[in-house]
Amino acid sequence: MKEEKHTQKNSVQDSTSRRFFLKGAVAATAGIAALGSKKSEADTNRDWKNPRSLQKGALSQLDEGIRVTHSVCLGCNARCGNRIVVKDGMLENISGNPYNPYNTHGNPVEYTTPVNTTLGISSPVCAKAIDAPNYAYNPYRLLKPLKRAGKRGEGKFEPIEWEQLIREVSQGGRLFAHLGEKREIEGLKALDSDEPIDPAAPELGPRRNGFVLMTGRLQTGRKAFIDRFVKTSMGSVNRIGHTDICGLGFRMGNYAFTDKKQVELKADPWGAEYILVFGANIYEALQPGINTYGAAVAKRSSEGKVKFAIVDPRAQNASTHAEDWVPVKPGQDGAFAMGMMRWIIENKAYNSEYLMAPSPEAASAKEYACYVNATHLVIDDPSHTNNGKFLRLADLVLGEDEKAGETFIVLSAKDGSPVAYDRVDAAILDRAAIVKDRFGNEIRVKTAFRLMKESVMEHSLDDYARFADVPRKTIEKIARNFSSYGRKAAVCQYHGAGNYVSGTYAAYAIAALNAMVGSVEGRGGYMTSGGGAAKWDRGIYDMKKFPGKRKGHGVKISREKATYEKSTEYKNKKDRTGSGYPSKRPWFKFTKGGLSVESLSGIDEKYPYQCKVLFTYFYNPVYSTPGGYRYQDTLQSTDKVPLHVSIDTGINESNLYADYIVPDVTYLEGHYGWLSPHAPALRFTGVRTPAIEPLTGKTKEGLPFCLETFLIDLAKTMELPGFGEKAIPGKDGKVYPLNRAEDFYLRGFANIAENAKVAEASSEEQKFVDQNYLVSRYKDILTKSEWGKTSYVLARGGFFKKYEDVFDGLEFKRGVKRVVLYNEDLAAATNTLSGQRFHGTLKYLPPMDSAGNIIEEKDKEYPYYVITHKMNVHTQSRTNVHRWAMEIFPENFVVINESDAKDLEVKSGDRVKLLSQSNKTGIIGTAQVSKLVRPGCVGVSFHYGHTQLGASRLHIAGGKKVFLGGDSVMDGDFMIPDAKLGAGINPNMVTRLDENLSNTPMVDLVGGIPDFSSTRVKIMKA
Amino acid sequence: MENRRKFIKKSGLLVIGAVAVAHSESLLAKESPEKWAMIIDLNRCTGCQSCVVACKNQSKSGQGQFNTKILSVESGDYPSARLVYTPVQCNQCDTPPCVEACPAGATFKLANGIVVTDWNKCQSKGDCVSACPYGARFQDPRHQNKADKCDFCLDRLQIGLEPACVELCPSKARIFGNMNNPQGEFATYLNKTKLTERKADLQTGPQVHYLPSRHDQEGII
Repeated sequence: MKEEKHTQKNSVQDSTSRRFFLKGAVAATAGIAALGSKKSEADTNRDWKNPRSLQKGALSQLDEGIRVTHSVCLGCNARCGNRIVVKDGMLENISGNPYNPYNTHGNPVEYTTPVNTTLGISSPVCAKAIDAPNYAYNPYRLLKPLKRAGKRGEGKFEPIEWEQLIREVSQGGRLFAHLGEKREIEGLKALDSDEPIDPAAPELGPRRNGFVLMTGRLQTGRKAFIDRFVKTSMGSVNRIGHTDICGLGFRMGNYAFTDKKQVELKADPWGAEYILVFGANIYEALQPGINTYGAAVAKRSSEGKVKFAIVDPRAQNASTHAEDWVPVKPGQDGAFAMGMMRWIIENKAYNSEYLMAPSPEAASAKEYACYVNATHLVIDDPSHTNNGKFLRLADLVLGEDEKAGETFIVLSAKDGSPVAYDRVDAAILDRAAIVKDRFGNEIRVKTAFRLMKESVMEHSLDDYARFADVPRKTIEKIARNFSSYGRKAAVCQYHGAGNYVSGTYAAYAIAALNAMVGSVEGRGGYMTSGGGAAKWDRGIYDMKKFPGKRKGHGVKISREKATYEKSTEYKNKKDRTGSGYPSKRPWFKFTKGGLSVESLSGIDEKYPYQCKVLFTYFYNPVYSTPGGYRYQDTLQSTDKVPLHVSIDTGINESNLYADYIVPDVTYLEGHYGWLSPHAPALRFTGVRTPAIEPLTGKTKEGLPFCLETFLIDLAKTMELPGFGEKAIPGKDGKVYPLNRAEDFYLRGFANIAENAKVAEASSEEQKFVDQNYLVSRYKDILTKSEWGKTSYVLARGGFFKKYEDVFDGLEFKRGVKRVVLYNEDLAAATNTLSGQRFHGTLKYLPPMDSAGNIIEEKDKEYPYYVITHKMNVHTQSRTNVHRWAMEIFPENFVVINESDAKDLEVKSGDRVKLLSQSNKTGIIGTAQVSKLVRPGCVGVSFHYGHTQLGASRLHIAGGKKVFLGGDSVMDGDFMIPDAKLGAGINPNMVTRLDENLSNTPMVDLVGGIPDFSSTRVKIMKA
Repeated sequence: MENRRKFIKKSGLLVIGAVAVAHSESLLAKESPEKWAMIIDLNRCTGCQSCVVACKNQSKSGQGQFNTKILSVESGDYPSARLVYTPVQCNQCDTPPCVEACPAGATFKLANGIVVTDWNKCQSKGDCVSACPYGARFQDPRHQNKADKCDFCLDRLQIGLEPACVELCPSKARIFGNMNNPQGEFATYLNKTKLTERKADLQTGPQVHYLPSRHDQEGII
């Protein structure tokens, strides 16, 4: 590709802006002086020719004639800051943002530091961030809207004009009559209706819900924008995220543990002394990423300040510094954790001071920021109407106390009498008892701890060792270590821990380990993040309210957070058969949500209603869902998906089936946003603005083809509320327009700056922003004062707090205040296929399909588990175009333990085929023999094995104007593929499906967790 | 982080706390105020490849050619096995075999310790490539097969920045400094740790020094 062709001159002066800025600035001179170099002999006497002068090495942030933007990376979802250097409109170099704690080991420069003094400060980012130019300048990027020109999935598209795109998507009609498709397609406008989507089941909501927008890599900023369109303008409930394939397992464990308050908790990498890693790939992935979490653990580990052990079937790159690697059997993290639990209980290695503190006040008196409900009494009495609920004051006395219905009861540690939980400092931990209600009736009760303990004791330590397939002494050793660091030991669990059927209970048990040592929400413990540091949605502008705002209602197509027992289906079945069960597909009352897999399965089965218009944003489910290949049929069907519009930067394995593809910008050109951290304790609002001009085409009004322009133009055509002239109310009483992306995001930024209470930028920093930041072109959207404050934030890439700011002694000030060993909402939820209630406390459960069959037993003839992971240089599905990453690792491997390799007579480099119960054709990859994966498992990374994103030949009429690479990627009307982009193997192509549920991908029936760990395969030489 | 610390100090942000530790003078040549060197702590390297990709962008080496890379070995036996990473590059040797091997005098050592190649003089014979015991050199087919290798980002040093691989290392495994005036963490490592070099027996005087992993000695290859 000829990169020069895409060079665009910016209105902000690319070549002159730096000069003023460095003149007299401390940075340049100080940096040189610090190194003592001062253009010495190497430069002044350079009568020799340096190779770099011919190779055009990258300029840096201290060079002349460049622009610098502090922004936020989107190489993955971790949200590190980046410092982007642009020369002549092109990306030149990328490093980290020294104001952002993610780039500075949690210890950034003082927020008030003048920007010009920070440019010489070293600040890292990871390989994904640095590879950004190859992502932005990917020759297979789309510049123009495409319309399908053949059958769904045939790989034929043609470019269309923007106006045609907007017209056809909004109005519908016989859009593919020219291809012989006679069907009349309902456009989006047809769904702008309050009529019920199913008159026989009005609880499902209006016809609006027939519009489903599914999001892949979505972040706040664009999330707010999309939600505005889908939820409050169109009024559909179906903006569906992909939390499930991202990692719902550990989130469900934390969701149960924190009583639905939080899902992101992990060991504090800056304060913990012992970290037990369960399926968290700390040196290769995670959120925060390797630039932050892994980096902090590695550095502190080198200084002897933290030790860690890894529980994972794969040793991971972090094995390099780990004290122990426990190669647990896939799907059995819960068994290992329950074994540890049993050892800790039997050896009384738990923190009884913490467990016995029955209330926030009692816990705080001993410097615990969060209490656990271990001592709270649960009604364990089938004859009682509230069986399975907590015993409350209202169960015992007449309700004079307004809070009696909320007040938990414990047994006083002093005399064993039942008392309100907030009246005593300590309560009995482990007890079954009988209490009397106000009428003198006896109620059988148990403490939450007792119920948990009974469940833990259902299996012996030897049983747990056998389930996890590790030596019993390993469980004992790790449990002993974990409970030997006081409150400075914590778990770091992520995707691997619980990302499988039955995973809710595995992750719940893992989370509960932290309560046993009392480390929840304490410095060095198991912590939530500090969240955003300044609100975007209110202040000067009200970003969520607008005239005519709609509020969606009804049931999501994924059935998440919906109660099956309230549905017409349930009532009808109950009337007919006496039991309302089973539902056709599972419903998920107790879930964090974001169930993309069950949404697609719902779309496939038109359950509980038909999806009429599907939008997919930055989303490639066929590639990135375990068993996503199943949805090729779904997306191919014009009956199941009558209209499919994809918004993306390229043609991937999923939008290959779309009717329209809307070209989008990358995060280097757009994706304005405000980003909060996943990291324990940290608190910030990172701000992303563009570093380079949009590379996509433009509308007649001069707006770039991208997500925002598309939604704005649709809304205006359809006269939806919330867009156009009267869209954003200001606190001055005026209503401001929303006609371009910046109208929205700049007002969000202005709110952030106002809420952060920053000063207006100094004149020098104002110049820095005006001359370096592309967004300054839109400064007239704001008042001068608003722009001044906003510039202060933009110059620093956001608003950042320090790690130290969030603690009060040992206590984390911003965490959850309560965690639970017994969760009554979980206990009250139902498996809607069997009609059985779920367990309210920890429980050992092996991975099972939806009918309750143990998968390992079902798939005995398939002897190997497939486990998957991410690599350090890639993010999930879109980095095959990261040229430098692919140069280091041109393909991925089927990693086989050396003992299995010997049995199979396979050696490194051999081609092997993996076949599963659900994919008997199999997939082929290259073997790599290793000691770092458990025998009986093969490890396969994601990122590779693409068949699209440049890997296959496509028919695109007029393609040289469609692709960024122009002529260089076209041969007549055919796109020329690049075989390197399709190297390797995609493990999701062999994932086991659930034959009990229309052969769709398996999901956990509590939370809807997709399964990444239970697929078993045969291995054959290929 | 030597330059950062000092830089901050210069900027008036950090008034006290500079702990300049004078290094034993015997090691050092004094012709130049600087003698650049790098220390790589294998207890910190996560194998993340950030340095390698940073270097690709910074130096624009050709496809498949690397001024730095990370060697990776599996050490120990299952289940006590682990990965061991060793970032490698040109060692900027005190007595560089490549300089001796070059018939044209194109490769030479600057007074600041960095070994460079003059592409006006390089005759593309490749003698330096085979002479390097570390495999750190290669010939660039885009430029008449002239020889290339790491130069500690000379261009960046001259504007006051650390080498790209050092700046971009997330876990601070690469520590850069001046042997003639060691400062901060660089000085601490020189004084307090037992550093080693690759193929020390060859006595080439490498100026990339390593702190071996406390978990494993397999790393220094």
